[in-house]
Order: sequence, then C-alpha cells, then structure tokens
Amino acid sequence: MTSHNPAVSTNENRPMNEGLPDWKGYIVGLHVVPRSFLPMRDVSTLNLIAGVGVEGDRHVTGEAFHSDRPEEGRQITFFEEETLEALKRDHDVTLLPREHRRNVTTRGVPLNHLVGRRFRLGDCLCEATRLSTPCRHIEQITGKEIFELLLNRAGLNARIIEGGEIRIGDRIRPA
Amino acid sequence: MSGAKRIHRVSLVVAQAADLGGNIREIVLRDEGDWDLPPFTAGAHIDVHIPVIGVRQYSLAGDPSRSDEWRIAVLREVDGRGGSRAMHALEPGQEVLCSLPRNHFPFPTDRPVTMVAGGIGITPFLSAIPGMRQQGQPFELHYCARTPDHAPLAARLPEANLHVSSAGHRLDMRVLIDRLDRKAHLFVCGPARMIDEALHLGDGLGDRLHVERFGTDTGSDPAYTVRLARQNREIPVAAGETMLQALRNADVDIPASCEGGICLECKTRWLAGTPVHRELAMPKSDRDQWITPCVSSCAGDCIVLDL
Repeated sequence: MTSHNPAVSTNENRPMNEGLPDWKGYIVGLHVVPRSFLPMRDVSTLNLIAGVGVEGDRHVTGEAFHSDRPEEGRQITFFEEETLEALKRDHDVTLLPREHRRNVTTRGVPLNHLVGRRFRLGDCLCEATRLSTPCRHIEQITGKEIFELLLNRAGLNARIIEGGEIRIGDRIRPA
Repeated sequence: MSGAKRIHRVSLVVAQAADLGGNIREIVLRDEGDWDLPPFTAGAHIDVHIPVIGVRQYSLAGDPSRSDEWRIAVLREVDGRGGSRAMHALEPGQEVLCSLPRNHFPFPTDRPVTMVAGGIGITPFLSAIPGMRQQGQPFELHYCARTPDHAPLAARLPEANLHVSSAGHRLDMRVLIDRLDRKAHLFVCGPARMIDEALHLGDGLGDRLHVERFGTDTGSDPAYTVRLARQNREIPVAAGETMLQALRNADVDIPASCEGGICLECKTRWLAGTPVHRELAMPKSDRDQWITPCVSSCAGDCIVLDL
C-alpha cells in the first residue's frame, strides 16, 4: 500500500466506466479542517482548486499530518454515508460525518470501485487515485474504537481536474 | 530530545499565562485560528513537547465542555529537570506542541465520588468538578497543602475541604476511607507518599480506588532501547510510548501513515533483539526481517534496527 495506483485504464480501448453499475449519487456532507488533529467542521460549500486541493483544508495549507510527504493524488477525500450506517447497524458505533475526517460524505456512490476513474461532483471533475487507508489517529481524535472496522471502507482519495464550488446536494456521477 | 514536528502534534498557542501564587502558573492554550480543539474527558492529560528538554505530562484542568481552550496548571519545581521552568517561561503568543488528550483517570458519572488532592494534584479534579456540579453528582473534595499559599486554586473550589499541614490540619486518610460511602469511588492525586498511603489503607476498596501519580504515564509496553546500527545511536523508548514516537522525538525521520499497522509505510529492517509484531497486514515471512515501529515493540531490553 505504499505505492499509489495510477489513474489509468488497463485497456485504453475500454470505456473508463465499463463494468460499473449505473450509479448516481450526491453530496450529503462537506467537511474541512485547517490543521492536523483538530475536529473537522461541517460546511455547506467547499471551493475546489484544480491540481491543488480543497481551499482552507490542511492538505492545502501544508498543515496535514502527512504534509511532510505530500501526495499529488490526495487533493480531496471522500467517504460513504452508507459506511456510517453500516457501523451503526453492525457494530452499534455512531460516527458522525465530520468524524471520518474526509472532505466529502457521499450517498449512492460506489467509492471502492472508482480508483482510476473520473467522476463529476457538481460542475467539478475529479479523478480517483487510491483507496484511503484508515489512520489510528481517528481513534484518538474520536475516542471510538473504529480503526479495524474501517479496513477496506475508509474512503477514497482523488485529484481535482476541474475546480469550482461544490455544495451539499450536488450530484455525483460518472464522467 | 523532542524534535517534534508541528504537523505531528496538536499545535497550539499560549492565549493566557498567569502566576497564581504558590509557584503555580496557569497556562491557557488555544488554536491559532480559534478552531475547536480535540475533545477531552474529565481526568485526561496531555503530553507537552518542550524543545530541548523533552516531553512532560499535565492534567487538563479546565472544563471539558469548553471546546475552545485547554487549560493546564504547572508547579515550578526548583530541583526538577527543567520542564516546569520552561513551562513557567511561556508567554502569550508562543507555540506549544501537544499530544491528543488521553485519559487514565476517568471519573464515573453515576455514583458519589470522593477526591483527595495533594498540592498540584488538584488539577485533574478541576476538570471533573464542573460536570459534577452541573449534573448534581454527589462529590466530596479534600485539598491538602503545606500552607494556604500552596493552594491558590482553592479560591475556585468553594466545596473544598482544605487541609493545611502547617496549621496542623493534616488529612487523616484512614478516617476518610473508613467512613467512605459504600457506593462511592475514591480518587487520589498527589505526591508519591500520599498515593502509597491511599493504596495501603484503601486496599479493601478494590476497583473503587483510583490513583494518579505525578508525571507517570505507563502504557502496556515497558521501557526499552532502540539501537540504530548504522548511526551508532541508542534511543530510549519510554513505557507506553511507541517505537515510532521515540524515533520521531529523536529526529529520526521514519515515513509513517496509518500508524495502526496497516499501510506498512514505516516498516524498518531489524537486525537483533526480540520484536513483538503487532501489524495487521505484513506477510508473516517478512517479520523475520521487518518491523513496523508504529505498533510493534520489543520483548527485551533492546532491539537493533538497520538505520
């Protein structure tokens, strides 16, 4: 997991979304924090800067835990609302959207299927680079034992191809 | 010591610093942009990374319901190792690097609590009492000090029974324990002699007795040493500290990401010693050569890394 998945199709003649179920989702939460370890704050809009990241977020300000090892493919991060529901349903763990520490909470988007693919959220265009891995800090910050529960469903990292403002309620769809 | 990187700590600024008397300085820490701070519960403490000197632990002494500040109170120890002197020199505007709060001294909320503080041992109770007042939870507080001047925080605690030894009002721990309510939990924080007395006299209380000593934070792993073969250096790993934290504090740059034994980004070749592997994702055969300092440890006194 130390290398990052290149955002390319394994077959250039194959449409990028071939094999994916038809999906359409939307944004149900937006979250930002300027420095590592601080609680994320819920916001109604975010400004995405192409090739850079989320305005005001710790990955742009250079104040993220991982900022000493910047990663071009981690400009914006996503997390499924369905995973929050599964944590509650299967483990009786209540995790608030802002506690998962990703920028966007999604509904109806198969994040784990999108690595290497492009998708639109609102008018912006993103390209998924790799699955997010859970981080032990989330347990320290939230006080909840969730690290292992998040294995293989800790969200998605992406780069921003076309920037702009995104809002809660914006559609997310294959590009 | 303590070459902590800003991004790997909770980086705060001193918002207020005031001498309270009795060689105690109260320091209020906030985020530079007034962002909310990570939450804590009553009884929690933080590690403070003091440049050159190292790591010191302080109980959070403010109201946990306040998300905008962390408050600590530091006793200046004239014969100490320098940590308290450095903390007393802090002025508003200076940056302080801290750990996230940890709580080894949590308070129950559903039963009576009796608290005994010796001197600066009052600090964890300062974080507990606001919630007890608000919830109407029965509590009793005994605040022991050599002189009234050594208990400047008593002014904030009208409920406190002050025991001033110079006036002959020493707390009788035996009497206190004998008349403890059958449902009450006893919490003691103070100097070693007070803790030892509480442990001795309160032996029959079982899990109703809780003590916190100054400056200790024992985790599940005992202390050991990491030897860096290529650099010919030895780095102590304190009890409860991870190997990765110790290496970082010694300015050894180890890439690490998840810090939970999943991503393997920190994996490092080991050469000698008895590693205790706790990562979740490395092929077992790799353990013969590699160790993940974020979660793994050492079963002996020393482990040698190929660094």
